[in-house]
Amino acid sequence: MTIINASNLVKTYKDPDAPSKLFNAVDDISLAIESGEIYGILGPNGAGKTTTLEMLEGLKDIDQGSAFINSINVQDEPYKVKQIIGVQLQANEYFDNMSLAELLNLFSALYDINNDPIDLLKKVNLEDKAKANANELSGGQKQRFSIACALVNNPLVLFLDEPTTGLDPQAKRSLWDLVLDLNKTGMTIVLTTHNMEEAETLCQRIAIMDYGKIIAEDTPENLILKHAPDKPKEVVRGNMEDVFIALTGHGLRD
Amino acid sequence: MFNNPQIYLTKVFIQIFLRNKQYIIFSLILPIVILGIVGLNGGERDPIDIGLVDNSESNLSEKFITSLESNNLFNVVEGDEDLLRNDLINGDLMMVLIIPSDMDNQSEITNIKLLVDKSQIQFIQTIEPILNQSLLSIEREITGNTPMFGLFIEDVKSRSQSYIDFLLPGIMAFMLMNLSIAGSGFNVVEFRRRGILKRLFVTPIKPLDFVIAIVLARMVIVLGQLSFIFGFALLALDANIVGSIISLYAVIMLSVIMFLTLGFSIGSLAKTQESVGVLATIFIYPQLVLSGVFFPLETLPEYIQPFAQMLPLSIVADAMRSIASDGLGLIDIYLNFIGIGIWIAIGALISTKLFVWKEVAG
Repeated sequence: MTIINASNLVKTYKDPDAPSKLFNAVDDISLAIESGEIYGILGPNGAGKTTTLEMLEGLKDIDQGSAFINSINVQDEPYKVKQIIGVQLQANEYFDNMSLAELLNLFSALYDINNDPIDLLKKVNLEDKAKANANELSGGQKQRFSIACALVNNPLVLFLDEPTTGLDPQAKRSLWDLVLDLNKTGMTIVLTTHNMEEAETLCQRIAIMDYGKIIAEDTPENLILKHAPDKPKEVVRGNMEDVFIALTGHGLRD
Repeated sequence: MFNNPQIYLTKVFIQIFLRNKQYIIFSLILPIVILGIVGLNGGERDPIDIGLVDNSESNLSEKFITSLESNNLFNVVEGDEDLLRNDLINGDLMMVLIIPSDMDNQSEITNIKLLVDKSQIQFIQTIEPILNQSLLSIEREITGNTPMFGLFIEDVKSRSQSYIDFLLPGIMAFMLMNLSIAGSGFNVVEFRRRGILKRLFVTPIKPLDFVIAIVLARMVIVLGQLSFIFGFALLALDANIVGSIISLYAVIMLSVIMFLTLGFSIGSLAKTQESVGVLATIFIYPQLVLSGVFFPLETLPEYIQPFAQMLPLSIVADAMRSIASDGLGLIDIYLNFIGIGIWIAIGALISTKLFVWKEVAG
């Protein structure tokens, strides 16, 4: 079943270099994402990944085209869509002087539901930080906390915008495990990333974006076969990251 | 009336404020210090210091001096002309009166010389009639003339009014303005810059829910802070409130809404934390001088008075003073309500036109 269906999405901005000109940050893209899928959007900075997500999330107006999540029209009923999605943003700052548990209670209240903050923190391995302040967390902890915030409404679809950017290998792999665990519960996950290994490890399908357009879309396996079939496979050994993990251990440091 | 998310968000905003102890203390210290200084002075402004050189040392000059000294507007310092002239130049005295040696010579007109500092012209205009009056009454006594006309002055505001009673409503209006502007303008820009606003709008709350929560929370915060100052002035400084306290709070609540909408406009106009500071300063400081918070508007140059009366802070300070000091009712100050209404409309128009809620975090 297709849970996200977007057709011919366009987002137009004024060109920052020539304000009289317009340019399409997202230029006529269509997506069909299956329920229970982990779908990755790859692309260089400025390719339009975040803008695409924000249009689907109802945070940015859709200038042209249409988007449906679970058959709800995002343009017509953005608040209904927001009820069934969870969103982790690139920026993850919160109100000062509030503990993680208090912040989770606040986000639950904004959906007008009661969700136990400790249960949510357990899901992201932060239950011992319930009384801590968000700005006392390390980078990896912050990312996991922002996923906990995105889970308060038990969403059908989880959007993750560059969830592992800036994380050390341990934190990154722990977050991958978390994403895979959530996916096992049947949650559809849409993520953007710059990390090719992340896309290959996590995603069942990948769209590669550049200049606002989707230039390729398929499974990682098919993309490799189609676009880089002849490159000799490395001898069976790890890379530097595996060396790092082997030497410093798998356990999370933060 | 309000939905659960709105009430919860309101609670959170109040909680955040209460946990910022430093801000609470600093926002209370200034009004307490100002009111405290005035209160220690018996709630009055100091009498005007005037110097007096008695070159005559006659019965007549004695009488004149006694009549001046009996007026509690003045504090008379007698002394040598050169010394007093120096004190005047140094600003320790408002003026120096020089009684000539021939004061008791009744065959000629005696000219009493007045040394003044022209920059104090406003005070001199107030004092001059009193001096004339004192001289006239002495003259009549000497010449034995019965006065043809008598002037009987009745204070229609015959209450025990002191400067602190004048100052209190003004200080409260000023506090109310600062707290409201900080709560809307500064908060919105800060929340937007840090991406907190975007995080909130990922959830199904509407912009209106956010605005309602800010307004409710600030209302509680401002009423709490003002009640504290109010209690301090009434209990510790013996201030008087003539009118109805309920009416006073009605004005306060409406004024909070006005300054919050104006604060939202400032927050919408400003793109960065620096520019919101500059805009707020441009909004606040002229009003501090021009809104009759510390001195009556009537002491301002005449050409600027009509403009000054229209400023939001003037309207609020005047409304609060009309109730607190003059005992007027809400109906009597309907013009102030019209003024507040117009400012709310202006603020709401600017903030809804300029604040693009969809693109909250850019």
